[in-house]
Amino acid sequence: MAGTGRETVRAAIRQVRPIMSTDFWEARRRALGLYKAFYRYIPYIVKYFDIPKTENDCRWKIREYFYKNACVTDIRVIDLLVLKGYMELKEITHSWSQKGHIMAYWQPTVERKPCDFICKFLTGVD
Amino acid sequence: MLRQPLSRALALSSPARVAPLAARRYADAVPAQPEKVEVFIDDQPVHVLPGTTVLQAAAQVGVEIPRFCYHERLAVAGNCRMCLVEVEKSPKPVAACAMPVMKGMRVKTNSDLTRKAREGVMEFLLVNHPLDCPICDQGGECDLQDQSMAFGSDRSRFTDIHFSGKRAVEDKDVGPLIKTIMTRCIHCTRCIRFASEVAGVDDFGTTGRGTEMQVGTYVEKMFLSELSGNIIDLCPVGALTSKPYSFAARPWETRRIDSVDVLDPLGSNIVVATRTNEVLRILPRTNEEINEEWLSDKSRFACDGLKRQRLVTPMLKDSRGNLAPVEWEDAVVAAARALRDCPPDKLLAVAGGLADAEALVALKDLLNRLGSEHVCTEHYFPTQGAGTDLRSSYLLNTKIANVEDADFVLLIGTNTRFEAPLLNARIRKAFIHKETDVALVGPKVDLTYEYTHVGDSASIVKDFASGTSSHEVMKRLQQAKRPVVILGADQLKSEEGPALLAYTQELAHKLQENLQDKEWKVLNVLQRTASQVAALDIGYQPGVGQALAAGPKVVYLLGADSGVVTRESLPEDVTIIYQGHHGDVGASIADIVLPGAAYTEKRATYVNAEGRAQQTLVAVSPPGKAREDWKIIRALSEVLGAGLPYDTLDEVRDRLSQVSPALVAYGDVQPNNYFAQARALAQSLQKPVSGKLDVQLKQLEDFFMTDAISRASPTMAKCVQAVLKQKNSPY
Repeated sequence: MAGTGRETVRAAIRQVRPIMSTDFWEARRRALGLYKAFYRYIPYIVKYFDIPKTENDCRWKIREYFYKNACVTDIRVIDLLVLKGYMELKEITHSWSQKGHIMAYWQPTVERKPCDFICKFLTGVD
Repeated sequence: MLRQPLSRALALSSPARVAPLAARRYADAVPAQPEKVEVFIDDQPVHVLPGTTVLQAAAQVGVEIPRFCYHERLAVAGNCRMCLVEVEKSPKPVAACAMPVMKGMRVKTNSDLTRKAREGVMEFLLVNHPLDCPICDQGGECDLQDQSMAFGSDRSRFTDIHFSGKRAVEDKDVGPLIKTIMTRCIHCTRCIRFASEVAGVDDFGTTGRGTEMQVGTYVEKMFLSELSGNIIDLCPVGALTSKPYSFAARPWETRRIDSVDVLDPLGSNIVVATRTNEVLRILPRTNEEINEEWLSDKSRFACDGLKRQRLVTPMLKDSRGNLAPVEWEDAVVAAARALRDCPPDKLLAVAGGLADAEALVALKDLLNRLGSEHVCTEHYFPTQGAGTDLRSSYLLNTKIANVEDADFVLLIGTNTRFEAPLLNARIRKAFIHKETDVALVGPKVDLTYEYTHVGDSASIVKDFASGTSSHEVMKRLQQAKRPVVILGADQLKSEEGPALLAYTQELAHKLQENLQDKEWKVLNVLQRTASQVAALDIGYQPGVGQALAAGPKVVYLLGADSGVVTRESLPEDVTIIYQGHHGDVGASIADIVLPGAAYTEKRATYVNAEGRAQQTLVAVSPPGKAREDWKIIRALSEVLGAGLPYDTLDEVRDRLSQVSPALVAYGDVQPNNYFAQARALAQSLQKPVSGKLDVQLKQLEDFFMTDAISRASPTMAKCVQAVLKQKNSPY
């Protein structure tokens, strides 16, 4: 009984059902595809949403969000993130999200924690 | 000379009266250890010296016998009877605190008879003890409360009090520190014994007997002692409680943080009790090598000064010459500009008595980076001869705990009673229990014990040093096996200071050479403030005289509040930057004020008069915009563009250990041995002296307000008033 249980677990590990991609390079291609799609839409974001950011700012922001997940190696997770990315892009292209949602990517209300000595000293944080 | 009543003297000579051997390195070689006797405590065998009491023998095997009147550091009274235990073959239960052990004794500390005896005693004690625990300040830390829960009965057979009422006793007025509710007193007489043995003020006693017995001061009188607060801790019930702390908090509501006292040079260990970011009270923490379990009144009660007169925001002088509150940014920039625009040789830093070692080292590093060497302390020490190069010249080398092993103590120009109350308590302990004799060169003051007054002329020290004195004290000194010479650091600021130090070194060296015990140190210099030793270790120049005469352009005061730096002593266009925690003398003359943290608000190193590094811990956060002191200097250095290479406390301490490893060896005293070299270097300074020695603190009223914290404390002000009032009283 126990033996068969272990057998099934091993089988499950060996053959995980892929979401979309079957190998890392395919997953990477999809991620690059998403990146390009966002990249090409940047001029329209700036134009339609009337945000106080330049195209360059937006490029850096997209870059930042992609690099945030740079360490992910699991193909299934990459696929999942890419799908979520497309969903977000769709929300933007269809104007489901509004100016505030776009600006939220820059987190304008979050105050940076002071990191060097003098800033910590002046704000009184340890 | 009989120093105490005979009955007490007999009881006191028991081995347990003296400090535990671990703390005493110079204990007499015990002559032929008497054979130990075996006794059985609850059938556990234990070997103890004859003369040990049953209670102490029980403590050795970890059995604690309940007690009210017995206290390790006081004489045995044996009057509360709570420690009754059953001893086999003894018809009646015996009082364990007073009963010496006998061979083969079998003690039962938990038998039916013992339990019944305790229950009976509790019943008697509670006949007249009021049931006002809910409004009693001792509630929660009351021995009677705890022991009645543990050993008492749930009912009393004394029903007559339902008709006659409980005994009521009039409250006494013993000053502004101690609140008395004498109805609660259970007559343990601990306060009486403390007053007569440790404090040396024989005002307490009992009157009447039986139900009429009262503990009090016979006539209404203030308890005129600098150690009076300790009877609050000693009182096992709520009869003596702290007046400033009355109805303030319950012990289970407070957070207790271990710390170190900085109001005298001894660095007594304390526990700071806080609640809602407020220091409520300060209690002593046992440290056999410094304060035992006592604490001086200033250290204990001056804590309300930490809430008053505080500097809570940076301030700058505005166009009309008034200090106006500003943000840190402006203050730091203004201070940095002043420091930057000043030529390095016109820059002066002065450290006060409450500065911690971290701030001291940061300030010195900053000034050195700016190219200045003018970092001074407020208190002077002669720089001629060996000066402050040899650590042994400015420390209390004998160490506080060892003073009680001395057989002759010579005090030169110091009133230890008020300059270092717990050192004085040690000397008194030696005087009472060890037949130590004391002599004083200086003004006649009340040291609470008898001493030979040699005179107040400095030339006496010269005669002692040269051996030409014919005074009997000279002979006693030469015969002494373990002499101690304590020189008050205040004497060194006069013209004759260097000579006086040189003579004292000479005298101490001569005495030390003749000793059999080569480990024994004779020379002691008693500093006046908590910061002085650390400052000298770090390399501060003692005294500001020369530096002030040079006409500095910018003066940086690091908590310098003793009033040696004044506007009058400085050029017109000087800029004074004050960094400290109290709006006192220093802040009142400042152009820029940078608020720092007091000793309860920072983790900081202090080195006591012995050279023992200890650290305070953060009990409460600094008020308002105040910051830790070394951080202020570190921030200033960054704005100046001369950034100090440390960002965290650990890095500052690394720097401290580079300067001197002794500064971070917490709890230890490093031995210092360059007495002969210091004396040789000082020999040319032995010039004739003719002045008179005087001490600053002569009377009890001088003792209470000596620094920024105690000057801000209303309790201390009340004490001064009360002492002055007592002076006018006919008693």
